[in-house]
Amino acid sequence: MTFPVPRDIPLPLPAPEGLLEVLLIVSFIVHIVFVHMMLGGSLFSLFCQIKGLKIPAYETLAYKIMQAVTVNKSMAVVMGVAPLLIINTLYAPQFYASSALIGSAWMAVIPLVIVAFLLAYAHKFWWHRFVNIPELHIGISALESALFLFIPLIYMTNVNLMLFPEYWPEVRGFFSAMLLPNVLPRYLHFVSAAILFSSLFFVWWSGRPSFQEDVKFSPGQSLVIRRFFYAFAFGATIFQIFSGLIVFVSLPPQGMSWGVTLLLFFGGSLALPALRWMWANISHPENSVDDHFPRIIALFIGALVVMGVARHEYRENALHDHKVAIAEKTANYMAAVAEVQEQAKLVEQARHTGMEEPGETGFKQNCAACHHHSLPTVGPSLEEIRKDYAGNPAGIVRWTKSPGKKRANSMQMPGFPQLGDAELLAISKFMLD
Amino acid sequence: MDFPIFHIDFIGNRLLIAADAILHVLINHAFAIGALPIIALLEYIGISNRDPRWDQLAYRLLKVIFIVTTTVGAMTGVGIWFSAALVNPAAIGSLIRVFFWGWFAEWLVFVTEVSLIMVYFLSWQSAAKSPEAKHKHLKLGIALAVFSWITMAIIVAILGFMMEPGNWHSDQSLLSGLFNPMYAPQLAFRTSLAMVMGGMTMICFMYWFTVNDLPLRSGVMFLIARWSALWMGVLVIASYWYYQVVPQNMLANLPVAITTQEYTDWHANFKWLLIIGSLFVAWVLLESIRQPGKVHGGKYLASLVVLCLMLGQFERVREFIRKPFIVGNYMYANGIRVSDYPLLQRDGMLQHATYTDIRHITPDNQVKAGREVFEIACTRCHTVKGVNGIRAQLIKMYGEKPWNASVIAAYIDNMHGARYFMPPFPGNSSELEALSVYLVSLQTRARAIEGAQTTGIPKPDKISSATHYGTLPDLAKPQPGTH
Repeated sequence: MTFPVPRDIPLPLPAPEGLLEVLLIVSFIVHIVFVHMMLGGSLFSLFCQIKGLKIPAYETLAYKIMQAVTVNKSMAVVMGVAPLLIINTLYAPQFYASSALIGSAWMAVIPLVIVAFLLAYAHKFWWHRFVNIPELHIGISALESALFLFIPLIYMTNVNLMLFPEYWPEVRGFFSAMLLPNVLPRYLHFVSAAILFSSLFFVWWSGRPSFQEDVKFSPGQSLVIRRFFYAFAFGATIFQIFSGLIVFVSLPPQGMSWGVTLLLFFGGSLALPALRWMWANISHPENSVDDHFPRIIALFIGALVVMGVARHEYRENALHDHKVAIAEKTANYMAAVAEVQEQAKLVEQARHTGMEEPGETGFKQNCAACHHHSLPTVGPSLEEIRKDYAGNPAGIVRWTKSPGKKRANSMQMPGFPQLGDAELLAISKFMLD
Repeated sequence: MDFPIFHIDFIGNRLLIAADAILHVLINHAFAIGALPIIALLEYIGISNRDPRWDQLAYRLLKVIFIVTTTVGAMTGVGIWFSAALVNPAAIGSLIRVFFWGWFAEWLVFVTEVSLIMVYFLSWQSAAKSPEAKHKHLKLGIALAVFSWITMAIIVAILGFMMEPGNWHSDQSLLSGLFNPMYAPQLAFRTSLAMVMGGMTMICFMYWFTVNDLPLRSGVMFLIARWSALWMGVLVIASYWYYQVVPQNMLANLPVAITTQEYTDWHANFKWLLIIGSLFVAWVLLESIRQPGKVHGGKYLASLVVLCLMLGQFERVREFIRKPFIVGNYMYANGIRVSDYPLLQRDGMLQHATYTDIRHITPDNQVKAGREVFEIACTRCHTVKGVNGIRAQLIKMYGEKPWNASVIAAYIDNMHGARYFMPPFPGNSSELEALSVYLVSLQTRARAIEGAQTTGIPKPDKISSATHYGTLPDLAKPQPGTH
């Protein structure tokens, strides 16, 4: 398969490539965890609000969840800046190309996020104002969740498209890029991860004394709520495993290797013991919800890190040939640039050593753009001026010092106060020669 | 040349960035840098006077700041990255390579700033339970104000670098880029303007929030008017400094009358706006100090508008100054490096463009080739029919009578001599000819250009997909279609 080979930006990387890659993996994981909690929190808040129509405790819970969402969304944005910066640095030819190819949707991310965030604040700060108007109360929440669901799809489409330069010529805008293999399975995998990480976060948060003080649930109610989140975490893990397998089989072969396969299955297998402990907590009412919790969290964080590394390995494999080709083309191009520049310098020097008539340089710098030798480009041509001012260079000087408007259909000439009389006269004489 | 061309033909690419950036700058100056010190000040007075009304007023103002800065403020900041990467990837990509650690430091400060504003805002009510907690809380507010100023101090260095790379050309390092000659006056000007803007913005909101408590209104107005008047004094000095240092530096670089005139006009407008605007704002502030609480809210709103105009005009002058370059003396506004010009002018741009399917210009494909040339060389700033549209420019120059391709070609060839803000034409003579033929065709058939976001990119041909120059036509020799 052939792909377009652009040239890279011919400036050195600001740090060793390995360091930038580590920074990219780490900062991206931090970013994506906050995105998970933002999206999952928003969905949970909506779900609990609807449930709260019948069971009031869930309404209280929904409000509490929403307070976490507005914090997590700010962290998600600010933590996203570093990976964006590093992607810009490491993958300039690929990332800028894929961004441009889905440019309208990519630019739409900004207003969409602003609207989603404003909706989130309206949802939170006007909670008590709208709580008795369920259409508005739930409508705002649903709209906010819908936006939070859609925006990651644009990101997913872009980071997928940048991996496959051979697909670029086929892409016509966002939707065709979205339908490339693997985008939708990866998106499902991402959404279930959002449910998983946010439900685990809420299991932990709802166990804290400050939380319980705030919502004033009875111990029985509290336990029901925590088990509610636990059940979602369990279900999302099962879904993660299945959607993960679909992602694996639908990954285009360009980036596959035994290393990536091993990492993906190792990362996925970390979820299995966690799944067993979670099941034990859910299925035995006598177990405390907090049993094995730190271990479960540690396993999922481990899985996240392994997946983050696998994701990077896949990207490096997929782009390996493209990057090598780009580096080679860039080096050759820069050699050609340097060579021709050298020649141009020699020509320039030769031109300067050859005598220029007095006034010629001044004319070229100040007048030539509008006064062509024979064509009326902006102002009249030199031929025409010679007719008007034959033997009268001083007339040109006088006109230049206070120009007026002679011709109806051309622009008025500007004054040249920075040129002295001697220079003006030299230029005028050159013009009439 | 190296990136698919994103293009919006109606509002234009420049306006896309400008609209986003101006909104960001206004919010950043008026709601963050200039407003946050006032919140800390009000909280401090509330603590020392034991007056909960001041504290609650500060909290209400902070809520506005919190909502505005963490939504529109933050996202328009990210939006500058998005739009710049779409409109001129070569430029932003180069700047990132040079300023990576500057931006990385900016990010760390930004993380701190966002974390601080969340803690400061969300812990406001709970801090009221003890005086110690309240003092700690006040320290958070001061730290927040400082960090928000530091984000600007870093970014101004990068902006200054784009205008005048100073010594960067010779040693290409981050520090030499950061400490360029225009840094200090610009930072002083922005800081004081932001403080006055923030003061005026907060005054407007305080006016609204104290409608039912006039004694409180006169108290807070008296305080914030004095604070803003103090910064107004600094602004006058900083403007004078900026006006002395920057224009001389710039005017020396502007060799041509028409540009110098245009620049001087712009700058004179800016000067008069500064003088008259400052006098008006100063008068409103003095009135508020003399008769606190008696000045009408409309005057505050008018002052705020004047200050926004001053900032907007300043940004326009600053942008104008750096043309024809996007990175001073390194890269032109069209995204093409100065050093690449000799090669491109010899071989033609189409020989080296990655995403094109026309390599040789014939009489049959001349208009289409001219359109490709226009996309590569002109569309970063010009549209066909929209903002800064090329058709309107040509009508202004040549009127309604039939346009002439050789006249247009002769003009473009020398254009940079008279219009100093225009980069020289980067292609060879047959491309110039094709471009002129295309431009003439616009007089009767002006079809808007759709960017790669709509039309995609052509299938890679031999030149585009070649992994190295060895398989290309021998680049050491002049290419077909050169002069």
